[in-house]
Amino acid sequence: MELSEVLPKYWYNIVPDLPRPLPPPRDPKGAEFSRIELLNKIMPKEVLRQQFTTERFVKIPEDVRDRYLQIGRPTPLMRAKRLEEYLDTPAKIYFKFEGATPTGSHKINTAIPQAYFAYEEGVDHVVTETGAGQWGTAVALAASMYGLRSTIFMVKVSYEHKPMRRVIMQLYGGQVYPSPSDKTNFGRKILSENPSNTGSLGIAMSEAIEYALEHGYRYLVGSVLDVVLLHQSVIGLEAMNQFSAIGEEPDVLVGCVGGGSNFAGFTYPFIGAKIGSRYIAVGSAEVPKFSKGEYRYDFPDTAGLLPMVKMLTLGKDYVPPSIYAGGLRYHGVAPTLSLLLEDKVVEWREYSEREIFEAAKIFAETQGIVPAPESAHAIKAVIDLAREAKKNKERITIAFNLSGHGLLDLTNYQDMMVRYS
Amino acid sequence: MTRKLLVSYMTLGYPDEKSFIEFVKGADELGTDIFELGFPPSFAKYDGPAIRRSYEDVLGKYGDFFSLIRKARDVTDKKIIILTYLEDFVDNLDEFLERLKESGATGVLFPDLLIDFSSDYKVYINKIAGHGLDPTLFTSPSVPDRLIAEVAPLSRPFLYYGVRPTTGVILPISVDALVKRVRSFVKNKLILGFGLNNEDDLRRALESGADGVAIGTAYIESFENGGLTQALETVKRMRSILDEYS
Repeated sequence: MELSEVLPKYWYNIVPDLPRPLPPPRDPKGAEFSRIELLNKIMPKEVLRQQFTTERFVKIPEDVRDRYLQIGRPTPLMRAKRLEEYLDTPAKIYFKFEGATPTGSHKINTAIPQAYFAYEEGVDHVVTETGAGQWGTAVALAASMYGLRSTIFMVKVSYEHKPMRRVIMQLYGGQVYPSPSDKTNFGRKILSENPSNTGSLGIAMSEAIEYALEHGYRYLVGSVLDVVLLHQSVIGLEAMNQFSAIGEEPDVLVGCVGGGSNFAGFTYPFIGAKIGSRYIAVGSAEVPKFSKGEYRYDFPDTAGLLPMVKMLTLGKDYVPPSIYAGGLRYHGVAPTLSLLLEDKVVEWREYSEREIFEAAKIFAETQGIVPAPESAHAIKAVIDLAREAKKNKERITIAFNLSGHGLLDLTNYQDMMVRYS
Repeated sequence: MTRKLLVSYMTLGYPDEKSFIEFVKGADELGTDIFELGFPPSFAKYDGPAIRRSYEDVLGKYGDFFSLIRKARDVTDKKIIILTYLEDFVDNLDEFLERLKESGATGVLFPDLLIDFSSDYKVYINKIAGHGLDPTLFTSPSVPDRLIAEVAPLSRPFLYYGVRPTTGVILPISVDALVKRVRSFVKNKLILGFGLNNEDDLRRALESGADGVAIGTAYIESFENGGLTQALETVKRMRSILDEYS
């Protein structure tokens, strides 16, 4: 099979295949303006059209497919044989390695099409926010691929503690501001209340949207919205082709959840095709949105500039603890994934930082890849599943999405080593 | 070709009783096939800004909205479907449906039925039918195909398909693709709504197989800009577009 044949020609949208209707986005009661209407000024038109599409399969533009090939898609589907041996399990373990892209995570899969649609529309400048830095890096690269300028609001705590992430964004031509910043009204307001506020993804998102509106730029969205999950389906669709090429089918699929896009991108094509019997979403015990979150309408951003969506949420004003898996600190879960969790189509697990550190170390020692701390949550679940399989003598096939590598998280790992060793 | 249906929406009593009645009367004469009248809910969660404004406008003005249905009934013979949210009436549904029936309504449409009450929707449909009213079902792109196919035969006198997430707000969508897809498994009359006041979309909807359209926001905005005369002008314009395809 040629590499280009593994790369799908269409993205997959799960909305038509959900077990029940997806509650629509809505404006809050007594709204002084329509947030739904405001989306027209925030997002590129085609991105917005895809956000509300009902088509099961959406064509990937040729240009986007070309760029996917250029950044190293399809990414490898690998068997974790050394890990299997280490665990002495009858289970087979496979992983899709999204860390193999130049930006080191799955985020580039949606940054490219969103930048492309902005470029096609004649926009010359895109804006976004970033927490740990993966999304900002992906946007900076995708923007430069299309000759667009990019501005990235980076959560201040990461801006200060992850200077290397900032350097990559700057190398790609991105303008990076620490958030809260003095560039927006919202940032200034937060700073006036507490000058030492170290920021959150919700605040950075609010700043990015305000900045885009103020300057007539377009905002690129990194997770949570259906359109992002649609683009990320390239991961699962490739994996399906790869599994079929080796004559295997996974029984259990696992991924970590920040907003939900890498998990959904990996598992939804399998859920839609009814391949596999268990789908397991893994979160952080320190940001317990699966166990403590409520399924209700909430804002995706702290300032409330986006329409409300029905999702599992800890509340838009939730202040997450400073765990090292920055990508898992977000307060909500994508609406389609929330619904699938509510309906028990998808199961969940939550693990503490100590547990995931041990899992990351085992994976690094056996497979040689340092996983992103976010992805280490998925690895921890896989290790547990493989051990359960051993106990029950089950010859199951487990597949997980290794959403990113952890080579830019080494300071975090160093801290964890001191803390947990 | 068969006649394309014009479903005209108006908020009960908007903008005042006299203009409301004149609107129903005039819209009937200008070729409305079915009326949809909005009964103000406590929170019009799936409606856009214009319809929300109209609800706020009438809320303090009347003690009794049922009498407005009766007065509308007096000036039109067309079907009257009452549009409101089930969550407000779920605790005294029988009484509410009975009063609607007595007031001359022929059917009821709850936009939140399949979204917020999806596991029990059949119970509510049976209740509505049990009171001699037509259950008109609201579906949208976020309703799974399987469910649309399942509920379509239960919906009378047509199946309502809202193409956008909220009323009156124009977001870029592919109306033709949406309609063709639903048309392929919906056999009953298919009426499109939600943001169809834009003529391009309206034409594409009709070309793709819709049996008619529901217009609401365009009338409210016409009322806001030019009163009853302009609202009735809009009815006339919508009818003439529909007639091109009839």
